[in-house]
Amino acid sequence: MHALIIDDSRTMRTILRRIVTELGYEVTEAGNGQEALDALETGIDVDLCLIDWNMPLMDGYTFVTRVRAEPRWRSMTLMMVTTESEHGQIVRALAAGAHEYVIKPFTPEAIVEKLELLGLAAREVPA
Amino acid sequence: MSTSTAELSMTHVHAVVEEVWTTFLGGGDPLYEIAPPTDRDPAEQGSVWDAAITVTGAWQAAIVICLPDGVADAVTRAMLGFAPEDHLAPEDLIDALGELVNVIGGNIKSLMPGPSKLSLPLVARGPISPSTSLVEACRLDLGWGPHSLRVVVSVPADQDRDQQAEEA
Amino acid sequence: MISEANFSFVADLLRRETAMLCETGKEYLVEARLLPLARAAGDADVDRYVDRLRTDAAERARAVDALTINETSWFRDLAPYQAFTEVMLPHLLQTRAHRRHLDIWSAACSSGQEAYSLCMLLDENLPAGWTATIHATDVSPSMLERVQAGRYSQVEMNRGMPATRLVSYFTRVGNEWEVAAKLRSMVTTKQVNLALPFPPSATYDVVFLRNVLIYFDLDTKRDILRRVNARVARDGFLLLGSTETTLDLDDSWVRETAGRVVIHRPRPDGPHGTAAAAAPRAITTPTTLTATGA
Repeated sequence: MHALIIDDSRTMRTILRRIVTELGYEVTEAGNGQEALDALETGIDVDLCLIDWNMPLMDGYTFVTRVRAEPRWRSMTLMMVTTESEHGQIVRALAAGAHEYVIKPFTPEAIVEKLELLGLAAREVPA
Repeated sequence: MSTSTAELSMTHVHAVVEEVWTTFLGGGDPLYEIAPPTDRDPAEQGSVWDAAITVTGAWQAAIVICLPDGVADAVTRAMLGFAPEDHLAPEDLIDALGELVNVIGGNIKSLMPGPSKLSLPLVARGPISPSTSLVEACRLDLGWGPHSLRVVVSVPADQDRDQQAEEA
Repeated sequence: MISEANFSFVADLLRRETAMLCETGKEYLVEARLLPLARAAGDADVDRYVDRLRTDAAERARAVDALTINETSWFRDLAPYQAFTEVMLPHLLQTRAHRRHLDIWSAACSSGQEAYSLCMLLDENLPAGWTATIHATDVSPSMLERVQAGRYSQVEMNRGMPATRLVSYFTRVGNEWEVAAKLRSMVTTKQVNLALPFPPSATYDVVFLRNVLIYFDLDTKRDILRRVNARVARDGFLLLGSTETTLDLDDSWVRETAGRVVIHRPRPDGPHGTAAAAAPRAITTPTTLTATGA
């Protein structure tokens, strides 16, 4: 499994990397939407994108619309991880094609639980 | 737009800061409200870091968080998962404090009617003063262990006047 | 601050019970989490409270729970809720067609995430003309107030709430999210201490009694399960936490598996029947549920 973490904050990328690495993901990082598109264009096989909204050059919302317009990336799961927390913003992101939405700040469990909802993290079977 | 619903509540701002703080730093020491400092002024505790972000659109504001060195250091280590012996570079502090003010700013923005847009954060060693056309709408002095920090929300003078007129 | 010996006792306890690590340096955290429990138990400080933990199993369970930051998630563990919509609900829609109403008990409902998760599933899956009541009970009046208010913090909303349901069922109020009135109107609240005789109530079609038996000693667990049995419709369902079981506790239940979940149903030959507990059996289609393991 391969995750692309897209956030202009290295701190946030580090926090997210720590969480998904523990779930067994290989990680690629990008500092904005354009960098993320460039990374995808190299042909890396990404299962999951964790996407900030406000970033320089290309924001996360634009990234989502660009990815959803490309049939070859249709199988990727897109999860916004952003401080944008108005009801209307969440509706917009979902309408543009984001699959899930996590509002900052979040606990690591919140990310894991959302990935479980998406079938992208295996829940431990209780003993 | 009704300005009575657009009133920035100090209680909500405090709740936002508290929530962001405990989520990033874990359930350790809580933040507690303190009287506007006299001897505990962050500016008087040696050097400080200021992290600022602006909101533009239906609601306009500048949000500045002022943290003394010790707090800035502790927050950065907690966010990056650094051990006490790990070396912190200034870039680490700038990035972590930028994300801190981004998350706090975004959540404060969502308390107010939109649509509004969040700027990219600005972090500096030493004070950041919002533009002179802004006036202070909310100031929160918070204690954290032996330290203190401050969150200031400033809004355009006319926006503030509207609000005061509505309240009167 | 907590003594070194007591801290290592708590750390060992936590590792044994939850496999969670509690390393040196976390003393303040242990102190902060256990102090309210110490006060509640009438102990002057955390050290005295840890002495109590050495001999009191029920108190140990409480301490472990407090130490594991057991924030309630929406749709906690997922699988029970899948079993609710895919197995229990289709069955009930057939067998309750005459009254077109369901009564569901969310026992030890805490701040209400379980009750409202069920409301959302019912809102999405109940046919027109059907109604349902979620009877949310808890020992804590302040928790019941939270359920009635139906307001949750940003951090609570992040815990397992699918974004599509967040936008359909919640609106922002200040720094919180408020659950839709149509869901709030499905929920009633009542203070119930599970360890004491239950007040009069409806017969429930489904009971969620999840992650609460761990707080009680063996005799109380048995007693609770016996009294719950009397409140579940003979063709109704009981769900326990994913690590909890009625095995060896109470033989008045039949266990059936649905996917990864074990569903408990009252034994058909009357409460506290003499037959040996049936082995777990797989539920393949809702219709097989009518034939219980006799």
